[in-house]
Amino acid sequence: MKKYVFKRILTAVITLLIITFLLFTLVRIMPGNPFPSERMTDEAIAAKREEMGLNDNIFVQFWNYMKNVMKGDFGKGTSLYNGAPIKTVLGKSLANSFKIGGIAILLGTFVGLVLGVVAALNRDKFMDVFCSVVSILGVCVPAYVFLIFLQYNFAYKTTLLPYFFDSRRFFESTIIPSVSMSLFTMSTIARFTRNEMVEIMDSDYVLLAESKGMYGSKLITRHVLRNALIPVVTVLAPLVVDLLTGALVVEKIYGIQGIGKLMVDAISGEGIDYNYVLALGILYSALYIGIMLIVDLVYGLLDPRIRISSKGGDK
Amino acid sequence: MKKILCLVLAVVMLSCLVACGSENGGEKTIGVMLSTNVMSLDCNLATDGDSFEVIADCIDGLTQMDSEGAAIPALAESWDISEDGMTWTFHIRDAKWSNGDPVTANDFVFAWKTAVQTNEEYGYMFDSSVGCVKNADAILYDGADADTLGVSAPDDKTLVVELEAPVSFFDSLMYFPTFYPLNEKFYTGLEAGTYGTSGDTFLSCGAFILDDYTPGAANFSLVKNPDYWDAANIKLDGINYQVVGSSDNALTAFKGNSLDLVTVSGAQVAAVKDDKDLSSKLKVTGAGYMWYLSFSQTEKNAQGGMLANANLRLAITNAIDRESLVENYVMDGSLATYTAVPPQFAASATSGDDFSGDQTKFADVCSYNVEKAQEYFEAAKKELGKDSFEFTMIYGNNEGDEVTKVAQAIKEQVEANLPGVVLNLQAMSKAERLDKMQNDNYDVALTRWGPDYADPMTYLGMWITDNANNYGFWSNADYDQLIKDCTTGKFVTDYDARWAALYEAETLVMNDAVIAPLYTKSNANLIVDGLTGVDFHPVALNRVYKNADLTK
Repeated sequence: MKKYVFKRILTAVITLLIITFLLFTLVRIMPGNPFPSERMTDEAIAAKREEMGLNDNIFVQFWNYMKNVMKGDFGKGTSLYNGAPIKTVLGKSLANSFKIGGIAILLGTFVGLVLGVVAALNRDKFMDVFCSVVSILGVCVPAYVFLIFLQYNFAYKTTLLPYFFDSRRFFESTIIPSVSMSLFTMSTIARFTRNEMVEIMDSDYVLLAESKGMYGSKLITRHVLRNALIPVVTVLAPLVVDLLTGALVVEKIYGIQGIGKLMVDAISGEGIDYNYVLALGILYSALYIGIMLIVDLVYGLLDPRIRISSKGGDK
Repeated sequence: MKKILCLVLAVVMLSCLVACGSENGGEKTIGVMLSTNVMSLDCNLATDGDSFEVIADCIDGLTQMDSEGAAIPALAESWDISEDGMTWTFHIRDAKWSNGDPVTANDFVFAWKTAVQTNEEYGYMFDSSVGCVKNADAILYDGADADTLGVSAPDDKTLVVELEAPVSFFDSLMYFPTFYPLNEKFYTGLEAGTYGTSGDTFLSCGAFILDDYTPGAANFSLVKNPDYWDAANIKLDGINYQVVGSSDNALTAFKGNSLDLVTVSGAQVAAVKDDKDLSSKLKVTGAGYMWYLSFSQTEKNAQGGMLANANLRLAITNAIDRESLVENYVMDGSLATYTAVPPQFAASATSGDDFSGDQTKFADVCSYNVEKAQEYFEAAKKELGKDSFEFTMIYGNNEGDEVTKVAQAIKEQVEANLPGVVLNLQAMSKAERLDKMQNDNYDVALTRWGPDYADPMTYLGMWITDNANNYGFWSNADYDQLIKDCTTGKFVTDYDARWAALYEAETLVMNDAVIAPLYTKSNANLIVDGLTGVDFHPVALNRVYKNADLTK
């Protein structure tokens, strides 16, 4: 197990490095200036490029960049919020996205699990059909459509909630985006949980447990749910990253200062902000890789078979 | 299941209760839409209209705009101009920064020297093409010491500016944020790059104070500055800014009273006009910037430099139905434009006439006239020895809803009216479009320019040889001479002669169809009942709230 964990972490770090280098190179090949330059002379643009070290060898640039990143310094924006250190802006945006995404994950997972379990236990009855309809709707309706629906009904028709995200009224402001963003997670989790549970409830070992006299909640939590959760964790992982990295359209419509919107601003402004695109790219990749790593490790916890089979370190 | 349902219901009800909180700010606080994020609150680094607006809410210049856009005293109580027009002496009034420091002449000296030193995008406002501040060119372009800039503070209350040539509109330059003061002690005491990144790292000496803010904030608020020198005349208690990306959303927010002042898109204007209640709140104001076609005249583009042929360019410009563009595609009250300098922003100081008020003055060479277009086209074909032409037109797909539609309409019109011309469309981001133009890697570009100051030179200055914005590489020695005479040469002391010379220069541009002007953008604003006195300007600062009041 230890060797397995070590190997996994090493692969993760190397992957991240490669991705960072690719990003670093690709951003520089992209058409567009890294700074707003409509009113600048060619000489001034050249001087700015020189100042940023853009004329150096790509490897030298990368080395210098990585040295700073290691110190936790992503530099400063070139066209976006120019002058301000990226750390402050990114920190604020991350905090918003994480909080809203986090609530969405918790809400989605919890309600999704409940719906899935209820549906599985009431197989082919009304509740099952009801949960299926809800989850199909949830998968089909994009989060931002649901957001507009909520915004229209709860912030325009009745003014219970703020029409735009307002950091001074944080709690009320998170309701509309979190609920709408949780919809997809909720539906996916509900469907997977139901299908897995139904399958497992038909399996031989559950029948055996039942015949031994085990039933009710003990059987469900100990034998059914535990086994059903493995595939659920697998689908949950990318959903978590998606939610944490901010939902671009939701952020844009609801006026949230989040990292999804930051990424688009960094690309589509007057200039392409190299440093923001890179910082966010690294962040996205690190999140994905990190979550995947955690998932692999959680498997082991959930399922003793994985733990045991990988004892030799060769999985 | 029932328990869960109860729990969910309880949470929902609780949150509804919490939601019934109070609104922010005082009674006369208005909610205003910004269409993009504020990019910078540092007056040397800011480059966009929204940033300029917020900076100007919080910091005053030597002068400010009256409701007509003329320069009136602000931090400068009065000023004297020397006989030769080369020395301006500003007398600074008693005013305070929000940390209690007095505003001094040195705050301007420091800010200006910093601006020419760093030479950011608007650094050129100091150079001999615009402000003509002494030695600015040498500092900006030849690396001279910033201390040699022709600005000094003999005492705290007197600011002396020396110019290299008289600039008739120098007072109106002073309300542009690039010329605003910075408190040296405060600015240099901050960690580099952090000025203006929060309420604590920003000083105000204007009508409003920045309350809470982080770069990229989708909403932030300003509150009235009680120590403002003119606080008695500021009626608003504060401004809540909200960045709204989509105009559909802005319209709904306005209807739901979440915002008091929003800008809607052309597509929505028709719907607004049909609505009895909304139509009375609609106000169309000039946004200033002009959209135009830029033609690359170098040999590497447009099939070996075909667009260097003036007749071909004239053919294209006469084949475009500008009225149809603004009526059917832009739809927000924008004005069809037939002059190289757009209307509405530059009025003569002596006669008061708009420089481009008469849009028919170049009707001979720029109008919608298919017959004439085809004549030019025949002439071009003969001169070039070619019957068919294929060009690519680039445009930004993130520059507003209407731009794509306008590009498609131009393609249709040009191809229908000039058989033999194929105009392919290529959409890209604005950053990429600018990059292509700067590297002269395009045939035709749909682009725009906003006036930086209230003088026709803000447009005409672009077409001189070697100007960085002369993306077409047109070059005309007579034109260069005329512009030189108007900036630093023989016309600078004679206002009317200069004005006439500018007309002459514009004529050269139009006769040669250096660019094809298309339309001058307007903003369709919705203003809530009771909100009065917001001043809209097409140049420098789009919206000013110093005269605004809210009565409900």
